[in-house]
Amino acid sequence: MNNKLLSLIRTDLNITFGLSSIAYNLKNKKKLLPMAMIGLAIISLLPSYLLMIRALGSFYDAFRQIGQQSYFLHVGIMSAQMIVFVLGMMYVMSKYYFSNDLPQLVPLPIKPSQIVGSKFVSLMVSEYLTSLPIILPFIVIYGRGGNEGLPYWIMSLITVVTLPILPLVLASVLIMVFMKYTNIKGKKDLIRVISAVFFIIFIIFVQIKINQLTSQNLMESESFMFNLARDANLLLNQIGIAFPTAMWGALALSNGFSPSGILYILLFAGTGVVGYVLMILLAERIFFDGLIGNIEVSARKGRGRTGDSAGRIRAGNPIITMAKKELLMIFKTPVYLMNSVGGVIILPVLLAISMLTGGEAYEPMKDMIMENREVLVLGSIGIIASFGILNSLGATTFSREGTNMWIQRTLPIRPKVQIVGRTLSSISLQVLGGLLLVGGIYFIVPLRIHEVIIILLFGVCASIPLTMIGMAVDILRPMTGWTNPQQAMKQNLNVIISMAIGTLFIFGAGFLGYILLPNYGIWSILGVYAVIIVTATGLLYKLLENMISSKFINME
Amino acid sequence: MLKIEGLVKSYNKGEIRAVDNIGLEVRDGEIFGFLGPNGAGKTTTIKMIVGLLRPDEGEILLDGINVWEDPMKAKSMISYVPDNPEIYDRLRGIEYLNFIGDMYGIPTEERNEKAMQLTKTFNIEDSLGDIISSYSHGMKQKLVLTAALMSNPDLFILDEPMVGLDPKSAFNLKEIMRTMCNEGKSVFFSTHVMEVAEKLCDRIAIINKGKIIAMGTMEELRKTAQEKESLENIFLELTENE
Repeated sequence: MNNKLLSLIRTDLNITFGLSSIAYNLKNKKKLLPMAMIGLAIISLLPSYLLMIRALGSFYDAFRQIGQQSYFLHVGIMSAQMIVFVLGMMYVMSKYYFSNDLPQLVPLPIKPSQIVGSKFVSLMVSEYLTSLPIILPFIVIYGRGGNEGLPYWIMSLITVVTLPILPLVLASVLIMVFMKYTNIKGKKDLIRVISAVFFIIFIIFVQIKINQLTSQNLMESESFMFNLARDANLLLNQIGIAFPTAMWGALALSNGFSPSGILYILLFAGTGVVGYVLMILLAERIFFDGLIGNIEVSARKGRGRTGDSAGRIRAGNPIITMAKKELLMIFKTPVYLMNSVGGVIILPVLLAISMLTGGEAYEPMKDMIMENREVLVLGSIGIIASFGILNSLGATTFSREGTNMWIQRTLPIRPKVQIVGRTLSSISLQVLGGLLLVGGIYFIVPLRIHEVIIILLFGVCASIPLTMIGMAVDILRPMTGWTNPQQAMKQNLNVIISMAIGTLFIFGAGFLGYILLPNYGIWSILGVYAVIIVTATGLLYKLLENMISSKFINME
Repeated sequence: MLKIEGLVKSYNKGEIRAVDNIGLEVRDGEIFGFLGPNGAGKTTTIKMIVGLLRPDEGEILLDGINVWEDPMKAKSMISYVPDNPEIYDRLRGIEYLNFIGDMYGIPTEERNEKAMQLTKTFNIEDSLGDIISSYSHGMKQKLVLTAALMSNPDLFILDEPMVGLDPKSAFNLKEIMRTMCNEGKSVFFSTHVMEVAEKLCDRIAIINKGKIIAMGTMEELRKTAQEKESLENIFLELTENE
């Protein structure tokens, strides 16, 4: 590795994770309270994580009973790789093509492959934060369940370290090719984001379909039960073929230090390394093709006539203007659009896809839902409400201002305008997500009109206090010193903190519904929810009003 | 119009005094120049006036209104142009102007008239439909100036306003400042360009190492220095002696 690449990696890691500023804050004992709060927020997510691990334990037992525990490892590696891949597509796009440091890097005497190489490494580190919480429980449960020895744990370490390479390489290659061929004039950002979302949905669709077909064929074969008893890796070899690297990883772990184990680990890690080298070679050839056009900004010089502009200068309500400005910034910044709209639309779309591809397999589920329509209505309200956190808009609303924060602070803007305007922008996405969700549910159960109205009305209203919780967290510790919009949204811990608080809110309300439903019926629950929503919104509004007034004054 | 008393701002737990007990007054209808070498405390002072940085000590009054006690009222009287025009890059020029106009509550007609007049003066009227990230540094500066002037502020505060402006726009800006003062409004700006300060300002303050070391009209400043030919000479002499 040459010095330039090392220096690029070092700088990128520093900027991405704000290492220097963390060190500075620790040294100067600044911002210790917010840092402690982050720790608390992460700890508060632990109970739900532990519950998930317990559920995984029973999943392992089920596979063990039929002697197919190696398939358990495959599921773990595949899930981690799939998530790294899907998130990686979004990360790669924003990091390779929309970072603010690119206009500074491109004029420097460095190769495109060095830029991509350094950004890849920094992404790898970020992806460990995603892959480790997924893969570690699988590895630990398998290792402890089978009393595995040292070779297993060494193999595990190699697997865990090299796991994100291949999915990220694939994501990088796909996005680089995609960006090269979508480098077209006009509304390229919007075209790219919309196509990328469809592209990701398409790839997930293909993967689900392949998995379904392979497992269906396997189950339908006449000698299935006999083979299952005979071959401990049957499920793995048959179904795993759709995801060969995950299969190799699982086989490496289950075979330990035997020759086949070593061969599989070499295959697993080797494909990643070879893929990386090929990706770097490709980057050298095509990276700038997609990038340079991206840094250029189209200007219709001379076309925005005076009369044209005059016609569009008009006064508006400050609240609506604030909401409009927020939405414009979101829709014109691909990273914001992908993270916010993506979070809201992917769930309903996946729901529809799985129902469409599931065929008869989902019939029992449909029947169950038909019998419990009230649970469906309450659950849907919960999902739409959760969009208030999932779209990350509230929790990043002030952070996203970045270096433009001076504008907000020097203008005579009342806290009411800030609160209502910013909340409105988030609500418009909840409405979009809500409509899509209702559409998605329609594939399972045809909803009645009053159910649609209740779901949308309560869901969207319940998302208001959740958006406000995000805003309160964000105004408490706005992260405005970012250089890449990705940092404002995806690497903003305010999102996690508000998710932790918001989850408690939603689970609390859900639990209340669970207790009340058998005795009081849905209308009483909706009445209770209405009271909770109105009270929480009122209290949070007052809180935000005070926080904004004082923070806008005291911020430095 | 603007009255500052005993203003202090320090960093590193008081080790560095960026602004050290300064006081000044900008009268109605006056152009006030704020001069000083790099790192003297000009931008810090300006940021405290416009509400971006809270002073450790001291008072900033705007027609008797404490800027930090009644920020909404104070802000509606001020317009601020920073040294670096960082604005919403992804909006179009027209969208930015409308945003600022709505925040100040400027009626459509007044806004239209002002915006047309100012964008014409700064020669950016044909670019208003373009996305701001396609603007040059100077064009962004002109857009920020237009937005700031649209609200017809009582006090116009500018940090290094001439940087990045072409000669014609710089001339036009000076004309606008003069006209504003003739209407009884005030202008407070920092600059490195001695010639501009000398010709344009009614009064000047020179700040060095956080302290105001000289303040007054050109005539009064001349009396404080041995070298009396130009403001540049006075500035160099005073700041070197410190």
